[in-house]
Amino acid sequence: MVELEPVIGIEIHVELNTKSKVFSSSENGYGFRPNTKINVIDLGYPGTLPTVNKEVINAGIKIAHILNCQINKLMHFDRKNYFYPDNSKNYQITQSRTPIGYNGYIDINVDNNIKRIGISRVHIEEDTAKSMHLNTKTLLDFNRAGIPLIEIVTKPDISNAKEAMIYIETLRRLLLYIDVSDVKMEEGSMRCDVNISLKPNNSNVLGTKVEVKNIGSISNVGQSINYEIARQKELILNNIIIKEETRRFDEKNNATILMRLKEKGNDYRYFPEPDIPLIELDDNWIKDIINTIPRLPSDRYSNYIKLGINEVVANKLIQNKELCDFFEELLSLEINYITAANILTTDVAGYLNKNNINIRKTRLEANNFGRMIDLLDKNEISSKMAKELLNEIIDKGMNIEELIKFSNKKIINDKDEIISIINTVLNNNKESIVAYKSGKDNVLKHLMGEVMKITKGQINPILANELLLKQLNSFEY
Amino acid sequence: MNKLMDLTIIEINNKLKNKEIKPIDLVLEVFDNIEKNKELNCFISLNKEEAIIKARQLEHVEVDNILFALPIVIKDNIITANLRTTAASKILDNFIPIYDAAVIKKIKAKNMIIIGKANMDEFAMGSSNQTSYYGSVLNPWNKKLVSGGSSGGSAVAISARIAPLALGTDTGGSIRQPSAFTGIVGLKPTYGRVSRYGLIAFASSLDHIGPMTRNVFENALLLNVISGHDVNDATSSNKECEDFTRLIGHDISNFKIAIPNYYMSTIIDEEIRGKMLNVIKIIENKGGTIVYVDIDYIDYSVPLYQIIALGEASSNLARFDGIRYGYQAKQYISIDEMYEKTRSEGFGEEVKRRLMIGAYVLSGENANHYYNKALKIRNAMKKSFDSIFENYDLIIGPTTTSVAYELSSEYNDELKSFFDDILTIPSNMSGNPTISMPIGFNKNNLPIGMQITANYFEEAKIYQLASLIESELNLELNPNKKEV
Repeated sequence: MVELEPVIGIEIHVELNTKSKVFSSSENGYGFRPNTKINVIDLGYPGTLPTVNKEVINAGIKIAHILNCQINKLMHFDRKNYFYPDNSKNYQITQSRTPIGYNGYIDINVDNNIKRIGISRVHIEEDTAKSMHLNTKTLLDFNRAGIPLIEIVTKPDISNAKEAMIYIETLRRLLLYIDVSDVKMEEGSMRCDVNISLKPNNSNVLGTKVEVKNIGSISNVGQSINYEIARQKELILNNIIIKEETRRFDEKNNATILMRLKEKGNDYRYFPEPDIPLIELDDNWIKDIINTIPRLPSDRYSNYIKLGINEVVANKLIQNKELCDFFEELLSLEINYITAANILTTDVAGYLNKNNINIRKTRLEANNFGRMIDLLDKNEISSKMAKELLNEIIDKGMNIEELIKFSNKKIINDKDEIISIINTVLNNNKESIVAYKSGKDNVLKHLMGEVMKITKGQINPILANELLLKQLNSFEY
Repeated sequence: MNKLMDLTIIEINNKLKNKEIKPIDLVLEVFDNIEKNKELNCFISLNKEEAIIKARQLEHVEVDNILFALPIVIKDNIITANLRTTAASKILDNFIPIYDAAVIKKIKAKNMIIIGKANMDEFAMGSSNQTSYYGSVLNPWNKKLVSGGSSGGSAVAISARIAPLALGTDTGGSIRQPSAFTGIVGLKPTYGRVSRYGLIAFASSLDHIGPMTRNVFENALLLNVISGHDVNDATSSNKECEDFTRLIGHDISNFKIAIPNYYMSTIIDEEIRGKMLNVIKIIENKGGTIVYVDIDYIDYSVPLYQIIALGEASSNLARFDGIRYGYQAKQYISIDEMYEKTRSEGFGEEVKRRLMIGAYVLSGENANHYYNKALKIRNAMKKSFDSIFENYDLIIGPTTTSVAYELSSEYNDELKSFFDDILTIPSNMSGNPTISMPIGFNKNNLPIGMQITANYFEEAKIYQLASLIESELNLELNPNKKEV
């Protein structure tokens, strides 16, 4: 029997985090009082004209680049004409014929196998206003109107829910790394539409596709794909013809629900936006922008492995972009990176989680932290002390050396000082010396405990142990 | 005694400087003129209170520029803050803008006084000013005739000597054609020379704002004020500011001037051709050379215009939907019905007809058949203009094929209204600057206009030739003075 094979393509809209909107100088932000971040351009007032925010073009170049796209060096905008209350001009300025990026790909890691997902296009467009439906009325918030969007469209290269989810997660992380968006699906700064169809595995002809629009989380993407595959299989097996339609994912019922059938010949009357001249992206412009792109997660990961950091720790680092950026800063210092990575992913990560704070919002500073790692690595402080000191330097941003001085927490490493402490202990425990001489080894533990007690643990334990043995052996009873 | 509005700008400026007159004298006379010429219907909204306040304020301000305190008329598709702006449409009948167009800011910066908003064809769609929601504008040379359009109100305000300065807009000839019909000087600058920010768009790639005045020199003065780069208009040029009067009076004996054969063909009224031949003689007498040439595709200008202008218009006018501003239908049960009723009731017949044609030429496959092909022909026409200017200084020809015609309730002759613009459309397509200036009258004492087109950003050269012809012809252009 012929197997049915899913064919999946994904369209993602990402809201960029530029300071202002794409075609006006209004502030680009989320969570403000409705209609407070607007101007006459966002409202589509008569006589207003768009001007292009260069930062949006730059973000487009970055995204096109990390998705290995060709870049359209001579591009224009187009008008997509349709009437809708959230669309203030009743046309949307978008890129139809000359997307900033096209014909790219992204490699994703599926169970340690690399799968290449084709990217057909990356283009710039403006967001619409937000509609809120209240009983019989609809309210419009134009704060969102004109926020820059980048639309990223894959080729139909995705085969199952797992790949789809990994694709989105990988893309999300990349976008976070190049700092073009906060990519929060729950706040709508990353929105996902999935196209799913089935075809016999021995055929090259694609089946009729169904679009599931505006899915609110990565796990829901997985669920809607699985649901659609099952639903469509059932229809095909029952010889029911699948219609081209738009559905949405309903979280309560864990199912996709029909929104509308796709109208044939939906006519957006696209034509080149006459208010914006052709934009020429010369090679220097593109090069300058690409040079600002930081090291990407996959490159960082392989570098960490090379540095001897284990896979679990390396993964933990790249999963937390801010922590990872902090670690990248540490790489310019001459310290033990393995120790640094370990402390970052355990103690520091723990602190951040507990206080629900981003490392950039704390007073932790790379140089200071690096010196602490160095002291720890040279046994000048113990790991227990490091843990205590860490809280202080994260909280208060205090200089590590001053902190040690201030809290008297430096480890005793001086040989003479250690010997004098040991002698004091031995003087107070003469019976233990006798016991030791008579071969009772557990006495050694007791004596070390005494040394630790006197010094409150702030002594180099290896050196202390070594010197204690030496002192004990030197007694001639 | 001469009326102030019959004086030249230099004379008025001197009187202001000498304190012989005050700004308020100018303003009061203008409003008196408006009152006396009410039947011409050249205004939609007046700015009387504000103008008087402004004039009083200016009494305490030093006369610091030649256009100081001069009254100016603004076509009603140019946005003026706190002053009703309707584009002569019912759909904007209640629209009071909250910002100023770039040109209005410049005018205010020179302490000029805005006296009102001029009547026009609805959304600048028309060439006889009969599509206005506020009624037709009458021609001061013969009140049974059209003023031309779409900047008819601006043209008549100048022609009737109501005010000395006006702004018009030109998408297919809307400054030049009414200028020709009323015997005034109107310039469509180079595309990008004057910011379009705040011009209610008709066809973005063809729309221009330009000066309309009684004579050539004053036209150049007004262009000095309104031109210049604007960061709010991405299509605005960053050419340096210049003094457009600087070549006036200079010799033209080295000028090589082209006349397209098409512009002297039999589609042109014989009397108009006669006046053109007269001008040719003047130029040749002054040592200039005249050569007849052909420009590719200029005979396609009307269909080109219908496709490009109306395609763009169908998109530009989509924003008038009753949601955020303007007219909204009273009763509806769905959003679609609201759109339909608002736009059916708010737009006039000519506008609706043009929007439907525009939507049609952009729909589906039509975009390839019509719109994209039209863009190619437009480009070829542009190149043909460029090649003419490799060899010639200027191109001349008549502005219109006929003089002003009779007002009629039968203005719904859709083809007529497009063919009025057959000679003016080419320079909207190419973006070249073109002036229309009076060169005489026909046997019925109706003004005849001539166009002068220059290479991009060479408006100063246009003024150089226009001013020479103006002084050689020395016509009486005040309809109030001329005996019929």
